[in-house]
Amino acid sequence: MKLYRVYSETGDTYLMAVDSKGNVDKIKTEANEFEIEYLGKGTRDNEYLFKVNGEIHHVFVDNGYVFVDNASVFKLERATELPTKEGESVEEMIKGREGEVISPLQGRVVSIRVKEGDAVNKGQPLLSIEAMKSETIISAPVAGVVEKILVKQGQGVKKGDTLVIIK
Amino acid sequence: MPPFGKVLVANRGEIAVRVMKAIKEMGMKAVAVYSEADKYALHVKYADEAYYIGKAPALDSYLNIDHIIDAAEKAHADAVHPGYGFLSENADFAAAVEKAGMTFIGPSSDVMNKIKDKLDGKRVAKMAGVPIAPGSDGPVSSLDEALKIAEKIGYPIMVKAASGGAGVGITRVDSPDQLVEVWERNKRLAYQAFGKADLYIEKYAVNPRHIEFQLIGDKYGDYVVAWERECTIQRRNQKLIEEAPSPALKMEEREKMFEPIIKFGQIIHYFTMGTFETAFSDVTREFYFLELNKRLQVEHPTTELIFRIDLVKLQILLAAGEHLPFTQEELNKRVRGAAIEYRINAEDPLNNFTGSSGYITYYKEPTGPGVRVDSGVEAGSWVPPFYDSLISKLIVYGENRAYAIQAGIRALNDYKIGGVKTTIELYKWIMRDPDFQEGRFSTSYIAQKTEQFTKYLRQQEELRAALALEIQSRGLNRQGATPVTTSQRQPKSAWKTYGLVSQASSRVMW
Repeated sequence: MKLYRVYSETGDTYLMAVDSKGNVDKIKTEANEFEIEYLGKGTRDNEYLFKVNGEIHHVFVDNGYVFVDNASVFKLERATELPTKEGESVEEMIKGREGEVISPLQGRVVSIRVKEGDAVNKGQPLLSIEAMKSETIISAPVAGVVEKILVKQGQGVKKGDTLVIIK
Repeated sequence: MPPFGKVLVANRGEIAVRVMKAIKEMGMKAVAVYSEADKYALHVKYADEAYYIGKAPALDSYLNIDHIIDAAEKAHADAVHPGYGFLSENADFAAAVEKAGMTFIGPSSDVMNKIKDKLDGKRVAKMAGVPIAPGSDGPVSSLDEALKIAEKIGYPIMVKAASGGAGVGITRVDSPDQLVEVWERNKRLAYQAFGKADLYIEKYAVNPRHIEFQLIGDKYGDYVVAWERECTIQRRNQKLIEEAPSPALKMEEREKMFEPIIKFGQIIHYFTMGTFETAFSDVTREFYFLELNKRLQVEHPTTELIFRIDLVKLQILLAAGEHLPFTQEELNKRVRGAAIEYRINAEDPLNNFTGSSGYITYYKEPTGPGVRVDSGVEAGSWVPPFYDSLISKLIVYGENRAYAIQAGIRALNDYKIGGVKTTIELYKWIMRDPDFQEGRFSTSYIAQKTEQFTKYLRQQEELRAALALEIQSRGLNRQGATPVTTSQRQPKSAWKTYGLVSQASSRVMW
């Protein structure tokens, strides 16, 4: 079992626990579970067929872009393998990273409402990011203690940047 | 002979490009203005001439009247088209254009001053017989007065900023406690956004749908109403999907609005184009007047497609003093089919529609029968964080609403944008939702469906990410392929499934 943080080109991040058995991968994310079987190449150059939870999907690859069923475009920026502990369950692996508060958008940090060492409840506002005429409040995904604040007021942030770590 | 020699477009993005297309087709020269952030933007490249008007923040550029007038004078423009948003409904801007000896393509500053805010609009609407919602007659001076009025008309009510738009300062209130809670906050928001803290109160329409009527008038007192657009699919009081005609209205309900709307135009001597926004209750079948928008609307292409007219060209001709080219009867005969517009916003529907700025790394627009794209971007464009998130509009046409939805699904699948998040995947979900297909929705649609579409979109997004990880981990990037046999899907049925035959008449469409 391996744990990855997958970064998309648009700055989204996904935690994925991957369990490989032969040609089949079981991928568990925070909200979904996929059993993915690689079936082989498609009829077009750079097209591959996968069976996901029983349904066949055509995945076409062009210059780093992945086109799923010719209807949506996705680009993976990078995938980083994360360390895991011996005997840790998939849920524990994913839960262990939930305290990492990731920026959901590109913008500028306009206010930080907590300091390191503060105890926070789940859903409590941590900081605000301003972009495109609106201000987005970033709240604590879990209850805990603010271990590290990695940004400053006025700083520009990209989508996917780690902002705060809660333990 | 073109009506003007050169027209400056005081705007950016898709609307600047759209207006310039009409200008060029009419044999005139198009002038663009641009901020620091838009140096390489599509509207700048598309224009015949372009002038720098200031730094990226809109106050320093697109909202700076002096800088724009300066650019228009340097370019020797004969007229200025304001697009929508920015200075399009600013009487001072219209006056500055007039003072500089140019034509403002829109209402004159005098007309704009007659209906400066929503309350002026309500007063004229009352005189003209346009139905208005019960509520305060003018700005409400205090919270005590607000509580008394709300008690009289009954909850739920809407608290609104007298000046303004884009959904700012509008809140539904269900109880006196909630009114106490929102009052000061909305005053502050209204002041911050519009420089005026005036609030007023209106009765909330039950199960409201947002339906707006297109008024067109000339300088000689002739008016027509180019039917309506329905803009009910909204988030935070801002429109996402619009369509024409409304699937909710019967012909007699539509027509009973024409006369009072035309009377409104006559009272203020309104010439050019305007849009009467109304809240329509599905339950009581009543319209409540909201406001008159004194400009071209974002959703104008839906009207263009069903009437087969170019509203921007018409707007330019009316500003130049031409007569209306058709009567109401002639216009009604032109109506055909149904059109749907999707606002392609650089936003993340999975994250409360927060803006997604960045570079567009992959861009492919849909084409084909019944499909139009009004875009302000191309591959390599930067979506700056300084302005609103609309990057393009996809508009589809069908012989009826069901076929327009089919065209929409196909075109949304064909529209591929990489580098920024967009609302495209959400629209694909909405098009397949039976409630949308059957026309069963209110302005709360997005809020009510959030849980359903969030679950689906997240699952789809994670699936794409998982497949991308598979491609990478299996080393399948850019490898050659040996074809394998796959089952060929056959169409389930013939003509009707694919919208080639009108269900009503069984005649071939295209």
